[in-house]
Amino acid sequence: MSTTSNRIEIDSAEMPREGLKVVQASDVTGDRLELSADVVIIGSGAGGAVSAYELARRGLDVLVLEAGPYVPSRDFTEDFTESLETLYEDHGAQANTDGDLLVLQGRCVGGSTVVNGCVSFRTPDFIFEEWHSDYGLTDFTSESMAPYFERVERNLSIQENRPHEIARHSMVLSEGARKLGWSVKPFKRNIRECALTGHCLSGCKTERKQSMLVTYLPWAAAHGARIHSDTRVDRVLSENGRATGVEGRVVDREGRHIADIRVKAPRVIMAAGAVQTPVILQRSGLGNDQVGRNFACHPSFYVGARYPQPIHPWRGAMLGVYVDEFMHPDNGGFVLEVGGLGIAELCMINEPGTGKPFVDYMQKAAHMAGIVTLIHDHNVGEIRWQGDHKAIHYQLSDKDFPSMMASLKAAVRMHLAAGAEEVFLPSSEALSVTREADIDGQVDKLVNKPQHLRMVSYHPQGSCRMGTDPANSACDPQGRLRGVDGVYVADASLLPSSLIVNPQVTVYALANYVADRVS
Amino acid sequence: MTSSPESDRAAAHQAAAPMAALSRRRFLKTALLGSAGLAVLAGGTFAVLRRSPVDGMAVPDTIRHLSHGEYHLFRRATEVLLPVAGTPLTPLSEVPVLAHIDAMMGLLPAHLRKDVSAGLALFDNAAVVSGWHGRRFVDLDDNAAVAYFDRWSRGHVIQRTLNAVIKQFVYVSYWRDPKTWPPVEFDGPVSDRWGIAYLGNAPLPDESALPQTVENRT
Repeated sequence: MSTTSNRIEIDSAEMPREGLKVVQASDVTGDRLELSADVVIIGSGAGGAVSAYELARRGLDVLVLEAGPYVPSRDFTEDFTESLETLYEDHGAQANTDGDLLVLQGRCVGGSTVVNGCVSFRTPDFIFEEWHSDYGLTDFTSESMAPYFERVERNLSIQENRPHEIARHSMVLSEGARKLGWSVKPFKRNIRECALTGHCLSGCKTERKQSMLVTYLPWAAAHGARIHSDTRVDRVLSENGRATGVEGRVVDREGRHIADIRVKAPRVIMAAGAVQTPVILQRSGLGNDQVGRNFACHPSFYVGARYPQPIHPWRGAMLGVYVDEFMHPDNGGFVLEVGGLGIAELCMINEPGTGKPFVDYMQKAAHMAGIVTLIHDHNVGEIRWQGDHKAIHYQLSDKDFPSMMASLKAAVRMHLAAGAEEVFLPSSEALSVTREADIDGQVDKLVNKPQHLRMVSYHPQGSCRMGTDPANSACDPQGRLRGVDGVYVADASLLPSSLIVNPQVTVYALANYVADRVS
Repeated sequence: MTSSPESDRAAAHQAAAPMAALSRRRFLKTALLGSAGLAVLAGGTFAVLRRSPVDGMAVPDTIRHLSHGEYHLFRRATEVLLPVAGTPLTPLSEVPVLAHIDAMMGLLPAHLRKDVSAGLALFDNAAVVSGWHGRRFVDLDDNAAVAYFDRWSRGHVIQRTLNAVIKQFVYVSYWRDPKTWPPVEFDGPVSDRWGIAYLGNAPLPDESALPQTVENRT
């Protein structure tokens, strides 16, 4: 890398065996950066990295701008609290306006792919059918998208968990599902030689998780793509209805404004994620009135339970198996995923009671196991730039509350069938179940009001929906933002309806699809 | 590692996340309309000015961000929320819970810090009439303090929020300390300890062996 007074140039380089060449705030010496590129990509996560590689290997001059820091894998600490600070949006505290739904997103080079649980699903057929019937997206079928899925599956070493990757929590809960006669399957994950540390959410220190940090980004860089971290894009620039570039700020990890940045580019790909992408577009005054609307997020419960035997939920592969018995909307429309967790999460995720009940609960931390519920939620939310901050307007809708409760009851049943002594309900008050006969009575005490339920979202999506009808979509079926030429969306914002399953593979495939159509 | 400014800030943000429900304007409105707020108003001046023996107690010089009242509220809350004496868990005397809370509080953004401060004052003072305890939270005995938390966990949105925020500050400040991990067999960071090899970047894809998408084939 070489630096001139107000311009940074990156020497072309072969792909290093480890690490990534990134221009960070600490590399910037002037107070203004003026850059140009054929394509500028905002965001370096699932959508941005795949777009960068696919376009760079076609010979385009690609510039990737990432708002978060560059944290090499070796610097991951395997300390969840510390990882929230360095790797997550809003230091892990991004929440809806009611404060009862944490929206966890990665905010670092590699984005959420660095901190996710590696779970890899293709888009379910019934979701494609919904996109076809409700949004006119006839090009998206399992068959037409198969080459896209196969590419990313091979590139990211996606394979089904092998027996040694099924940790104790997953073995125990698999048995519970089998006793109930429910279909339970091993996850597929994007991982090479999983080291079974259980620290997926803090980043994979030894580079086994095939995140964008160790795959598509170094590959894109090998094809000449330039990557800047610590670079917050404020606006997409346009003239006469056509994109001309972006402008923003370089801000270091302490929040100091280091420089302004302006990039000239005829093509802009938005891949900042389903919260930031619409915010940037709204700040830019671009797109139609659908930008920011139709936000969905897979609101999830983490349903924890105490078992008589030690489980050690922090040991082994974090995600082992899932129950797909209820996945289709006709069967309930939810998925149960068996997931591990660490001590920091455990002390915050349940409300076992005050004082002694809490101490008793934590004393038995090694006996805990948990199930994450995912539902096919309606697109009822909205992301809105409020002038000086973003707002995530999302309340669990009354239409989705029954699905949430059905998923919760199923999770409780599964725990009890697996031999749990006590299942803790994800509520602000202490509620638990110890026998099947009490499930309905206890769960039915929950009501859909702010601060009553403890929910987490790992999958924000849908805020720049694609579709054929401008009245209900922000982007056309090729990912082009309506109302301005040269702006594309290539992240989870595009999803017309919520996926019900973990979205990373769908986003990779869609980003590849959009990149193929960038002209 | 677990007491760095980085982890302090993240822990603080996490603990205070529910406060998003009580943005400044909404907070005041909710406080005035909510049952907790009514309790304070009903208590009038005698409630919010109710003296407490802790008012005369000192605050360690090392505390930089917590006010006198906040320090003693969290001191009492820690005693009530973490009765670890007589259990295998790490004694409170070995974990600087209040120092952690103080550091976390100092890293909250100003607007959130102000809301948290107002919320803590409300929680302390509302005990005078909420449940008709006749005294501030810091002066409640153990059973009454537990009952007070439990009642707020079932109450109005503002009560549920503050119950969650105070508990999360205390719980996270205790459990993020590695000294608390051995009694519950939590392993903490393991990769370096286990000597796990680094795999580095994945090799460049062999495009000739990959399925080509429609546009690339043509």
